[in-house]
Amino acid sequence: MSELTKLDRRDFMRGAAAVTFAGAAYAAVGDKTEGTVWQLDPNKCTQCGRCSTHCVLNPSAVKCMNQFNICGYCDLCFGYLQPGSRGRDTGAENQLCPTAAIKRTYIEDPYYEYVIDEERCIGCAKCVKACLVFGNASFYLQIRQDICINCNECSIAKACPSDSFSRVPASTPYIYLTGGVETTIPVRKGEEPQEKTVQHPA
Amino acid sequence: MLEKREFEQSDFLYRLSLAVTVVSGFFSLIVFLLLVVNYMQIRAADPVNNEMITKMRQEYAALPEEDPALAQRIRDLDLLTRKAFFTTQTHLRVGAVMLLVGVSLFLIAFKYMMRWKRDLPKLAETPTAEKEFLAFAQSRQLIAWGGVGLLGVGMMTALLTEGAIYSTVDARILEAPPAATSAQNAATEAQAAASPEGIAKAIETPAWEAMELNWPTFRGPGSTGVAHFTSAPTQWDLAAGTGVKWKTETQLPGHNSPVVWENRLYFSGANETTREVYCYDTESGELVWKKTLDRFQGTPAEPPKVNEEAGFAAPSMAVHGKQVFAIFANGDLASYTAEGEFVWGLNIGLPDNHYGHASSLLAYGNLLYVQRDDNSKARLLAFDLATGKEAWEAERKTISWASPILARTSFGPQLILNSEATVDGYAPDTGKLLWSQECLGGEVAPSPAYGNGVVFAANEYATASLIKLNGTAEAIQPEIAWQYDSFLPEVSSPVLDGERVYFATSAGQLVALDTKAGTELWVEELAESFYSSPVLVGDKVFILGTEGKMYIVQAGSDFALLATLNVGEGTFATPAYLDGKIYLRSTGHLYCIESSHG
Amino acid sequence: MLLWLFIGGVLLASLPGNAAEMRFPPPDFQTEYRIPDLYTPAPATTNGVFDALMLFAALCITTWLVFRARSRRGLFLMSIFSLAYFGFYRTGCICPVGSTQNVLAGIFVPDVGVSIVVLSFFVMPLLFSLFFGRVFCASVCPLGAIQELVAIAPIRISPALDRTLGLGRYLYLGLATVGVATGAGFLICRYDPFVGLYRLGHSYGMLLAGGVILLLGVFIARPYCRFLCPYGVLLGWMSRFSKWHLDIPPSPCVSCRLCENSCPYNAIDMPTPAHLVEDPIKGKRRLRYILFASPLIIAMGAVGGYSIYEPLSRVHPTVALSERVALEDLGRVQGDILESRTFRASEKTVETLHGEALGLRDVFKKAGAWLGGFMALIICLKLIELSTVPKREVYTPHKETCFSCGRCYPYCPVEPKRVAS
Repeated sequence: MSELTKLDRRDFMRGAAAVTFAGAAYAAVGDKTEGTVWQLDPNKCTQCGRCSTHCVLNPSAVKCMNQFNICGYCDLCFGYLQPGSRGRDTGAENQLCPTAAIKRTYIEDPYYEYVIDEERCIGCAKCVKACLVFGNASFYLQIRQDICINCNECSIAKACPSDSFSRVPASTPYIYLTGGVETTIPVRKGEEPQEKTVQHPA
Repeated sequence: MLEKREFEQSDFLYRLSLAVTVVSGFFSLIVFLLLVVNYMQIRAADPVNNEMITKMRQEYAALPEEDPALAQRIRDLDLLTRKAFFTTQTHLRVGAVMLLVGVSLFLIAFKYMMRWKRDLPKLAETPTAEKEFLAFAQSRQLIAWGGVGLLGVGMMTALLTEGAIYSTVDARILEAPPAATSAQNAATEAQAAASPEGIAKAIETPAWEAMELNWPTFRGPGSTGVAHFTSAPTQWDLAAGTGVKWKTETQLPGHNSPVVWENRLYFSGANETTREVYCYDTESGELVWKKTLDRFQGTPAEPPKVNEEAGFAAPSMAVHGKQVFAIFANGDLASYTAEGEFVWGLNIGLPDNHYGHASSLLAYGNLLYVQRDDNSKARLLAFDLATGKEAWEAERKTISWASPILARTSFGPQLILNSEATVDGYAPDTGKLLWSQECLGGEVAPSPAYGNGVVFAANEYATASLIKLNGTAEAIQPEIAWQYDSFLPEVSSPVLDGERVYFATSAGQLVALDTKAGTELWVEELAESFYSSPVLVGDKVFILGTEGKMYIVQAGSDFALLATLNVGEGTFATPAYLDGKIYLRSTGHLYCIESSHG
Repeated sequence: MLLWLFIGGVLLASLPGNAAEMRFPPPDFQTEYRIPDLYTPAPATTNGVFDALMLFAALCITTWLVFRARSRRGLFLMSIFSLAYFGFYRTGCICPVGSTQNVLAGIFVPDVGVSIVVLSFFVMPLLFSLFFGRVFCASVCPLGAIQELVAIAPIRISPALDRTLGLGRYLYLGLATVGVATGAGFLICRYDPFVGLYRLGHSYGMLLAGGVILLLGVFIARPYCRFLCPYGVLLGWMSRFSKWHLDIPPSPCVSCRLCENSCPYNAIDMPTPAHLVEDPIKGKRRLRYILFASPLIIAMGAVGGYSIYEPLSRVHPTVALSERVALEDLGRVQGDILESRTFRASEKTVETLHGEALGLRDVFKKAGAWLGGFMALIICLKLIELSTVPKREVYTPHKETCFSCGRCYPYCPVEPKRVAS
């Protein structure tokens, strides 16, 4: 196909037109070069549970994470235990997580570490809600970027009732809670917290 | 070479691929059906919202002691659900891959089937080219009709769309002032207009003197815990029935305290669906009227989530002469006349704090005060008594679950409110913040106390402070006179008698402090626990314990227990103390207690 | 007021409600325990440069297969590769079809930029189309590939019906543009029928829609490409002016008529039969009528589009929520839904919401008018194109609608000669 290689003036014009077209398109859309990924803002999240049901992936790419430096390492962890539970063990009657994805490990008296098994976590936000209402809000939902396939239009974003999802720069793909670590320590007068917390409504 | 073989035929290969097509087609169909079944299962086996487990867990939590058998059943069911959930998910993935393989095989076989028995290119009788050109006219027509069709569909959709919904909203937005509560105002205006004109005229604004003679709010006149009458009966026994003038069963539950004006007593009750206001005759104990609230604009369709022990009618009502007010957990606020005629009603919105709306109502002058504390926005609202229109809104720094009190200071009347960090004084007519003192912390439930120019505020986990109000009426200077933190109230509100302050703790102590020196006068272990607030009746302090005992203590620098009386029933409300009578609401009954020698 | 019964024991002194504040201070560990770091893996899919290179390579190979190798089988295999890589491996995201919306967002929505990778995904197929015809459709597009692979027993539908249904692509493009410009969302992605198949999971409805389109696609080849694909509109416009394009015979056509029925897409322009050549005056008169009527038709379209702004605006979540809230407040619907519940719990007032919705409805009035005008314009252009019967001598592919799939190659008797030589 020798014609293919031949260039005449009209071809040159066409090429120039193409370049102009591409340039115009580029100018129209700006010059942001960095890629973006989806992420949810835990400050806006209302723990409605749609993250676990509306992701195109099954199980969802949204997982709960425990930000350890905010976590109170409580013995009576409301994110881990059913309200009004008698025991502090993994028995289904005591455990809040529907998929048993939270692992509780004894650290030292009276502290326990809570680690989330992401294989099991389905992003239902039950523990997030409990920790937000009764605890330090160290549990919160985030999109796991290694699992997320970064759809052009995120299905959960579309379904999110509190508009928590947005695109963030791929270089800073997580939104952390600051937890006000330095700012607020509650007023307390030398009592051991556990003595008080055991008195729980049945 | 490739293309030459394109039109070869082979009967054997055709049959072979036909067989593969049929087999893989059936296979795909079966896998597809299984996948659909599997999908249904996944929806059924939802471990997040398994009703059965939730029910069993609730049952288990409500049991008085551990039940290993039920625990085991919960564990078994939970394991089953989780297993089902995860295995069906695995099945779904495996099934999807199998379906993909099956369909691919089917398509390949189908393609080969077609390929080995392909029709050779034949020339049609009428050349296709001719048909093609005849189609030009047809195309023009069809495209034109397509356009008409699009237009028609568009017009039909536009016609069938209910535009009327929006026009109502449109009008409201365009006409209403930009105030945040304009929608509510519009609603109340409409309701006010609809109500008989006579009502508005009948409404009066009683003076303080009249209020003092009654029990218009939670903790009495001004909500300060001081009774005007000093003749409350001191010898009675409800369990035994002595001293009971009348007794009647209450209807819907509610922890709010009864309020009394002249010969009428009011309180409210509510459950998930129904909100009711009751009016009783104080002499006979007969139910005079009962009103069920309608839905107002903005009343949530779903009942609010409340703590079991808070219930749907926690805040006490307020009575102001011929008008009564009630507020409920869902944010419904309504006003009736003493005769039970509806005056106005509105929904102030579902409060966003984790125990729900708790603060009792207070009416003074021509305004009704509602402490409306959202986590995001704490505020004090004032409503016009006659119309229910919002008169002003005062911003508060933080929230609390205490109730406002009305203090008659030398600088004039003030509303004093506890927040989680401060005690604040507001002007009752304008909502202007008069003073603010930081001294509280924690989740504040006790209301402040006022007496003799000083304010007392305390909360467990924080400290107790006596605040002196100095300065002038224009610039009030609060000053912390002393602080105390050995014993602190958690729920119960304090009361001042001018020289001493009394308060009760959740651990069961009744404490008296000297207001001048800030010293501990006495501390007495009386009950298991105190959640009710002490009320000063003359020179006696009346207080209810959680276990159904009423203690009467001499108000003074030395402790003297005058009486321990038997209520015999759990009580949540603070009684109303009037001339020779106590009106007490227990969990199931309403009592009028009369002095046996009075 | 003994509400406090239950709270006393539950909670420590705390400042509730504010998630940013801590109720329990972080522990001061006595043991060796070290607070673990957060596990925050990096995004798996940020390097789109490689994908852009793959797209370029795939376009080059397809161009070579269409023009030099002229191999239907090669294109078929290439389709399998594209389906496997862009479809199943890269899960259908990013694709040039969807990138149209990103570019539209870059144009219409302030402060939204488009990355070079996304832009190159949008531009590359268009540039190739401008020079070589729709080679992207031939075997690069994963949506096209999966339909091309299942189109096993295609039947030809009447060209008139084909052209009319083809208006669907313009409508879809118009709606997608309205969706992006008004901020309602990316409709093309939302209703992508095959993305669920690539991911082996999605909403039930979308999987079903994909299955139905594929099943239909066995007999009516490439239904999505022909009747729905919005990007196909742009590719078609480019291809119309392409410098080079696939030819059915590699050397002069002998008008043997063998390829007449080979194209399931009605994309072969046939020589005009002598007895059907129309009186040119008739055609010209028709053309004149349509030209004169065009402004009126476009105006009608704009008015029609304007009048559907109300149902159209419901695509936008804010408008939908506002209407829902209004209906609840007016007592016309019972109960609430998660969206309205969440809204009521938020700080936003009903007035702000309704205000926003009213503003959006005004935007939709404009958008609806543009959409209606655009559709009317397209119909006029189609009528103008069809008003005169062109005079042609040989069998040539129709540059705008031809997917360069190569199905016609084996039917041409000139082809084996070329292969032999």
